[in-house]
Amino acid sequence: MAADKEALYQQRLRRYVTAMRKGKPDRVPIRPFVAEFTSKYAGYTSQEVTHDFEKAFLAARKCAADFDWDAVVGNMVYVWTGLTEALGLRYYAVPGIELPGTTAFQYKEPSEEQAFMKEDEYDALIEDPTGFLYNVWLPRVSREIAQIGRPSTYRNNVALVKTAMAMLRYFFAFGDQAARLRSECGTVSAIAGILKAPFDILADKLRGYVGLTMDMVRRPKKVLQACEALAPHLYHVAKTTADPTKTVPIGYWMHRGCVPFISPAQFKSHYWPTIKPIVQELWKDGHQVLFYAEGNWDHHLDSFAELPDCSIIYHVDMGDIFTVHRKLGHKFCLSGGIPNVLLSFKRPEDVRARVKKVIQEVGRDGGYILDAGAIMQDDTKVENLRAMTEAGREYGVYSSGVSASIPEPRPVPPPPGEGMAALPPPRKRPGVCIPWEEKVKEIPQILGDRAILQRIWEEQEALGNMFIWQVLLSF
Amino acid sequence: MIDFSGLRGAVLGGDEAAAAAAARKALDAGADPVALVSEGVSPAMDEVGRRFERGEAFIPELLIAARATKAVFEIIRPLLAKKGARPAGRVVMGTVQGDLHDIGKNLVVALLEGGGFEVTDLGVNVPPERFVQTAREKNAQVVGLSALLTTTMPAMKATIDALRAAGLRGKVKVMIGGAPVTQAFADEIGAEGYGETAAAAVGLARRLIA
Repeated sequence: MAADKEALYQQRLRRYVTAMRKGKPDRVPIRPFVAEFTSKYAGYTSQEVTHDFEKAFLAARKCAADFDWDAVVGNMVYVWTGLTEALGLRYYAVPGIELPGTTAFQYKEPSEEQAFMKEDEYDALIEDPTGFLYNVWLPRVSREIAQIGRPSTYRNNVALVKTAMAMLRYFFAFGDQAARLRSECGTVSAIAGILKAPFDILADKLRGYVGLTMDMVRRPKKVLQACEALAPHLYHVAKTTADPTKTVPIGYWMHRGCVPFISPAQFKSHYWPTIKPIVQELWKDGHQVLFYAEGNWDHHLDSFAELPDCSIIYHVDMGDIFTVHRKLGHKFCLSGGIPNVLLSFKRPEDVRARVKKVIQEVGRDGGYILDAGAIMQDDTKVENLRAMTEAGREYGVYSSGVSASIPEPRPVPPPPGEGMAALPPPRKRPGVCIPWEEKVKEIPQILGDRAILQRIWEEQEALGNMFIWQVLLSF
Repeated sequence: MIDFSGLRGAVLGGDEAAAAAAARKALDAGADPVALVSEGVSPAMDEVGRRFERGEAFIPELLIAARATKAVFEIIRPLLAKKGARPAGRVVMGTVQGDLHDIGKNLVVALLEGGGFEVTDLGVNVPPERFVQTAREKNAQVVGLSALLTTTMPAMKATIDALRAAGLRGKVKVMIGGAPVTQAFADEIGAEGYGETAAAAVGLARRLIA
């Protein structure tokens, strides 16, 4: 049984990776990003899968096994509210607390006046992004953390310890989940690592969309400098959380940086020049990036086409997948293009017809992965997702054979002056909060091995740094 | 004859301070506040909307123009009230129950206010009965419903059903919008109006009231 699952896993991994490298596998891989759909299917409430991640993991495995999907995300109900409550994060509406237990969690953007970063704080962010997050941002987003300079509290200390341990527990559990998806379901964990664009992060978690929009009028230069200052840190997080074997891609969650949320000129001056270098640099090392283009990014396809062949997988939500295919299909693998509205409100035959059309036109020559447009919540009808899966198998066959091996990435370095070299060097080193060079000055005398002290200090430093950036990016 | 071109330019360019100054200057010169809206603010906002539809302006331009308009209304609202001037229409707006997203809804509210409408903004996660109650209290002509999630689109239908059950469907028209919402969905649930973008809302509300 275990051997069967391993053989199935290997077959699916080849199928999935071949498509991502723009090849033609034996058939179209099926990689649905199922979020609260899993809870509905497995008989849980939204509150159960959001608050008890073991249930979310179990529900994802149940779906993967029953639907025989090629790849899934270990848990697409990505915010574990056990952790967000331990830290007292203000920006989530939590199922079972302020939302009914049957409703999915939602992000609550604060009003412009209540923004987590104020309009006159750009210089502080630019000077030291990590320091700003710990010193200014964290006390504002948390109900538990005391402001710097105010007396520390019992609640403050307990919240930090609990959240840090909870985070490690959660991330380690993802490793287990990947292993169980493989051994129990023969299913591949679809992505590893996280990337967000500097501009998106400013809009989502720091200034808020409206605040940032006003800043783009009043202080566009500061916004650009902030994006440039964030970029090396976001690159560092992506690089250190990526799949070390470079097999599955890094998830890049695109949010507010598209027309009409911003103008084409703002995309060209701010958004693209501070995310493109990160993607180029990751690809230099052979890491593909999954552009999860939530909403409609069709206005920017020519910019995306500047990236090297196969460096990204481009996922289509509300964009026109046929237009995307014409513009990007010769360079990158595409995924998605099955509208969620169809999966939630229409009939299985409507879903089948759409899948057939997308596979026949977009998936004709390989380089296509079947998925819905956006993550699937509990309004997705089971019979419709089943129809999507079955139609994918029926219409997605290329040949009876299976590719013999996993294709290697063929990375290329960015042209001279591009990649991270295009951005100003970071003022503070990414991945570090209190550098060893500073710490060592406090130690009067080192009697033993200095190297081991430094190495172990820096390893714990990396954890301290990861903590705050992961709170910002993943929670 | 007072020239409102400076005011129109300031609103169009989203310059709050210049718009407020132009409004004050016009009033000092004896301008009728009603004309200030109909010949100054509204044509400028309509032009921003047209530019948006043509793909020449984007949400940032809409937002800053709406801000400039708001600055003008803060000055003239008491004068309009004193004159007993009637708004372009009375609208009740909100994001439907279960949905906490409000960027699109806020933009629609700002644009409607800029278009001279009296808007009651109920915020987010609004239960159907609150729409019903407010529509009745405010004697609304239009109820505007917003949703970002496919999971909350059914709450639009529930709200329309509640308005019908309360006997208000003859009195209020319903317009809906939000990323996953379509004209077909509007037809299906019996909403009279659907706007693909926030910029469409003003024209839509005018047509529904006409």
